[in-house]
Amino acid sequence: MNPAPTDPSSIDPTSIDPTVARPTNAGFGRLLVLVYAILALAATVRALYQLLAHGDQAPLAYALSLLAGVVYIVATIALARGGGRWRTVAWVACSFELVGVLTVGVATIADADAFPESTVWSSFGQGYGYIPLVLPVVGLLWLWRTRGHDGPA
Amino acid sequence: MHQRGHPGGNLDRVFAPLTYLIMAAATAQAAWAVWFAIKDRAVILKQLWGGAVVEALLLVQVFVAAGMLLAGDHDIAVGEFWGYLVTVLIILPFAAAWAFAERTRWSSVVMVVAAVTVVFLEWRLVQIWTRTG
Repeated sequence: MNPAPTDPSSIDPTSIDPTVARPTNAGFGRLLVLVYAILALAATVRALYQLLAHGDQAPLAYALSLLAGVVYIVATIALARGGGRWRTVAWVACSFELVGVLTVGVATIADADAFPESTVWSSFGQGYGYIPLVLPVVGLLWLWRTRGHDGPA
Repeated sequence: MHQRGHPGGNLDRVFAPLTYLIMAAATAQAAWAVWFAIKDRAVILKQLWGGAVVEALLLVQVFVAAGMLLAGDHDIAVGEFWGYLVTVLIILPFAAAWAFAERTRWSSVVMVVAAVTVVFLEWRLVQIWTRTG
């Protein structure tokens, strides 16, 4: 009988025990966290620059970009921590991003005037190579794959 | 000798070649990591030294850019320019530490993505720099 480890970092990532959640920061998760970190950096720095340089032009769009950037930072940290309560935080952050990119994506296509300045989520993240659209989906799939059947969803 | 159209003097002429040199070095770094990923190997210390060379070139680039912008007026988006210059400095140290803690091939994939990101950001810097003409 395997005693269930409580510290996620002590879990062997290669173990195939299906009842124990695997850490989200190992193996493929390493790559996922890096890509999240780069997008978080890009979105946050750009939004800060836009707000400081010409924030009066489209405050709503830039504020939305900054919010997106902050949620990417939260997702990056949550996925990098690897488990426990951070897993729930990662679920919420990734879901928020998916809803955000879909909502703003549809909005920018339906009514382009509503978003005169581009945000990280405009046109489903086209300006960022659609990474903002793909990443939350991959993040959620990764959380699903590494979940334990008895652990938190 | 007058250098018309080059208000920043010699530094102006150094910037683009230096940026291309960095792109070449980061591409080599990426290729090395691709090779390791294919061979199912994790990042080794030598590759981190390679990354340190790229990082040193990036630091030189910051000083060249600062000298160039102080020396003369340039009709470029200065805020955006600095945004890229500073952001690109963060990528490799973070990625190296993050990759080195992982002892599977995924650590090499992390280095590939980091190095390619540096190449892309440098390419954007050249674009910002040259679009003024």
